[in-house]
Amino acid sequence: MKEQRGVCFFAYNNDQLDYVELAIIAAKYVKKHLKLPVCLITNEGSESWLEESKPKKLINESFDYIVITNDEMKQNRRRHFDSPWTSFTAQFNNSNKHKIYEYSPFEQTLLLDIDYIVKTDTLLKYFDSEHPVCMFDNALTVRNELPAERERALYDAGIKMWWSTVIYFDRSDFSKLFFDTWAHIADNYAFYQYLYNFPSKLFRTDYCVSIAVHMLGGMQDNQTHIGNFDNSSLVNMSQKDDIIETHGLDEWILIAHDQKEDWKNILVNSDNQDIHIMNKRALARVVPDLLEYFNEGT
Amino acid sequence: MDERLEKALEFSNYALTINNQKRNIRNRVAQLQIVHHLGGVFVANHETISFIKTLIDLKHKSSVVIDSKNNPITVKSLKDLLEKLVDAYTSATTEFDIENEKLKKARNIKKIMDW
Repeated sequence: MKEQRGVCFFAYNNDQLDYVELAIIAAKYVKKHLKLPVCLITNEGSESWLEESKPKKLINESFDYIVITNDEMKQNRRRHFDSPWTSFTAQFNNSNKHKIYEYSPFEQTLLLDIDYIVKTDTLLKYFDSEHPVCMFDNALTVRNELPAERERALYDAGIKMWWSTVIYFDRSDFSKLFFDTWAHIADNYAFYQYLYNFPSKLFRTDYCVSIAVHMLGGMQDNQTHIGNFDNSSLVNMSQKDDIIETHGLDEWILIAHDQKEDWKNILVNSDNQDIHIMNKRALARVVPDLLEYFNEGT
Repeated sequence: MDERLEKALEFSNYALTINNQKRNIRNRVAQLQIVHHLGGVFVANHETISFIKTLIDLKHKSSVVIDSKNNPITVKSLKDLLEKLVDAYTSATTEFDIENEKLKKARNIKKIMDW
């Protein structure tokens, strides 16, 4: 018998980023604001590193379940930014994300990326939603601007982009169909890239879910089976933005760049706002502070 | 730099920052105003609250109400829905007021950032 409600994170380390450490932070925020059990889905190597690098107590406090997978990952080099001025590339292991339907120990699951920090209880209400699957279909930058064109549609005249950063799903037949469709698209990625004309060699699960939504919606944009979190926006702190300071757990001061003129920044006070920290190095830099706040209970 | 230009740019940056914070608050308030009830999605605003109250005043106990997604929802207890809407409206507007007051007092970027 599966536990009713919970949150899952995938975390596979690479030579540049300690995903399991970031998963600890994301899990602790989930525990604080959503008060739900958390499952970490990882591989043997990342789990060994987690046990070696973090105290047992912290791991147990953060994760109620750990699922070890041994899926073969596609070669997928991703260019990351850390501010407009620094970049690095690293292997991005995401080709088994659709298997969450199989791996999740919960009847109703919220799958979050490890860089999605939950600072409100807003997502809780979607466990009572009438939609079997929910994802964001629009996003805003922390400056409340629309993201780049290619993150709104798969190409200039293409289908709408849906984000796989936050996925709510239940165990209905429709949810199974959705993940099976996603698996099919992932298996035939080159064909769908040709058909839907989306760019880059990077394997993006956002593209897979966008196409799955389009197909299951009868190739129309106005489908109603998949919820979009009541039209609210995914708030993205871009890879070119940074976290300047944390005032306790929930109030962060960010520096947000201008998309057209990188050097023009404004400060943003991010408080009471769920936020997608796409600059993972920025998040990693504040991990010690955040762990200290969690210890102090502030 | 000309001092007048320096001051103008400083104010411009302040205006940009404070407007962004105001939009953040409005987005948060909009989220708090969303009420899920019996599979329907309702927005706790003046219009919905007044409409449900009108139905109750006209002695309706239950009714089919069109939700914000244009779906018909059979609301078994209008009183329960009204309570939920008023709760959501009150917590949203209270948070709006607190945050708005903070921003009104913030005369420079440092204050907006709570530094």
